[in-house]
Amino acid sequence: MSAASVAASLGTSLGTSLGAFLPLLKREEGRIPGNFGIWVGIYCEMTEFALMFVVYFLARAHHPEAFAAGPARLSTLAGTVNTLFMVSSSYFVVRGMLAIREARPRVTLRWLALAFLCAAGYLVVKAIELRYYGEQDITARTGIFFTVYYYLAFNHLVHVGWGSLGLLWVMARTAGGAYTPEDHDGLEAFASYWHTIDLAWLVIFPLAYVWH
Amino acid sequence: MALNHRTLVDLVWLALAGMTLVGALVGESAATGHAITFVVAFVIAAKGRLVVDHFMELRGANTRLHRLMAGYFHVIPLLVVLTDFFGDGIARLTSL
Repeated sequence: MSAASVAASLGTSLGTSLGAFLPLLKREEGRIPGNFGIWVGIYCEMTEFALMFVVYFLARAHHPEAFAAGPARLSTLAGTVNTLFMVSSSYFVVRGMLAIREARPRVTLRWLALAFLCAAGYLVVKAIELRYYGEQDITARTGIFFTVYYYLAFNHLVHVGWGSLGLLWVMARTAGGAYTPEDHDGLEAFASYWHTIDLAWLVIFPLAYVWH
Repeated sequence: MALNHRTLVDLVWLALAGMTLVGALVGESAATGHAITFVVAFVIAAKGRLVVDHFMELRGANTRLHRLMAGYFHVIPLLVVLTDFFGDGIARLTSL
């Protein structure tokens, strides 16, 4: 059995387990940030990334030399700057949440704008980084490490892209006065999703750029 | 004295940024071996828990949500360590 089919099997099992778990969520067991629906989405995303991480671990187990040498050919600077963008963006979203709870939507909007700038910064740095790799003839076909790297990085890039659109949406809703200290579930749901995208990168960065 | 929430998230942000820079230094270092594996596993676990507990606000929230998200950041670091120490065995188990 190939590594990929083992990973797919594990991913399916994990997804099934999470699917069975979610109906067991009970509000009496504590507050559910945002809304129930966003957590279905979040666990789907976490399952998707778990599958990718299993692929990474299996590929690394089969090709330890390639994974030991690979990070040296990636730009640690680009990875570090993008990690700082991701954690800062998450932090700014948290500060926006705290501001809306204090009935300060204008302040919330400023924090969300900072979060958006970080997300845009991430996308720009990633574009420069991928162009640099192209100039160095580093592609997804360069070797197994880079195949897995591009698989992880592109998937995460897509999530940051559509997450940024969600960020613009909650900014527009905030500007329109949709959120109040009593009712800001939509903003909270987005925040939970955005932190999930941050979490995925917090795993990808050390696996791809640091662990040599 | 208990920290207020705003101060706490400020500190969490600084801790996340600090651990990112430590990770970058490790990535640029010439050192190899199990020590780097443990640093990688620790950083993933610590950063994950900080975000889950304080940015997602799952600490003190729904216990099942919290356990599942926190568990994720126990399992991934464990897989990091297992892959390093038992990579050959994992490769044998997942080969035809």
